[in-house]
Amino acid sequence: MCVSPRSSSPWRIVDDCGGAFTMGAIGGGIFQAVKGFRNSPAGMNHRLRGSMTAIRTRAPQLGGSFAVWGGLFSTIDCGLVHVRGKEDPWNSITSGALTGAILAARNGPVAMVGSAAMGGILLALIEGAGIMLTRFASSQFPTGPQFAEEPAPVPAPSFGDYRQYQ
Amino acid sequence: MPVAMGPYGQAQPSCFDRVKMGFMMGFAVGMAAGAMFGTFSCLRIGMRGRELMGGVGKTMMQSGGTFGTFMAIGMGIRC
Repeated sequence: MCVSPRSSSPWRIVDDCGGAFTMGAIGGGIFQAVKGFRNSPAGMNHRLRGSMTAIRTRAPQLGGSFAVWGGLFSTIDCGLVHVRGKEDPWNSITSGALTGAILAARNGPVAMVGSAAMGGILLALIEGAGIMLTRFASSQFPTGPQFAEEPAPVPAPSFGDYRQYQ
Repeated sequence: MPVAMGPYGQAQPSCFDRVKMGFMMGFAVGMAAGAMFGTFSCLRIGMRGRELMGGVGKTMMQSGGTFGTFMAIGMGIRC
């Protein structure tokens, strides 16, 4: 995660935090719009208003919890990169588990373990999907001019940025 | 799939391609996660047999859709 030149600084944490907030707010907006529309009393006016209310109350909340998750996650991730001195999927998995544990800290040790397992499994799945994807795409990341002399550029899409949503 | 060429002779996927890709990946991850967590929660509330299959499938589709949407948005806001 800290590999790309943009993100090797602590600003990456702020960046991830904001990205996560945006993601949560937009996604929460979409889902809450549908939910508010369906839960309102009949009549188009009521439904639109209910949908609006649901978005206004719930979407920023969801964005906030996404932001907390994303910020803590990338803080721990970058800390692990610094401490261990290498970058591998275990960094993400560990930081996902630790994030889950820390955020559930006030609910007691049992909830912490459950939440940590959930975060770890989720991040392991995402990392696994990323590795599969790189293997499928089988083309290099667009990292710089060292690929300039490649004879025939493969038309396969190169998803260099696929990790940045976390 | 029409791809624009990047500055280094590299295929650069378009924005929509990346969003689509994000959705697919999110859907796959969500299906896997839903299979795991759905099995647990369906077993916990006492589903067995055919009912369990239906419950797990429903959870898988739901979490796949949710994950896919969120990851598509995550891709969309970064390009």
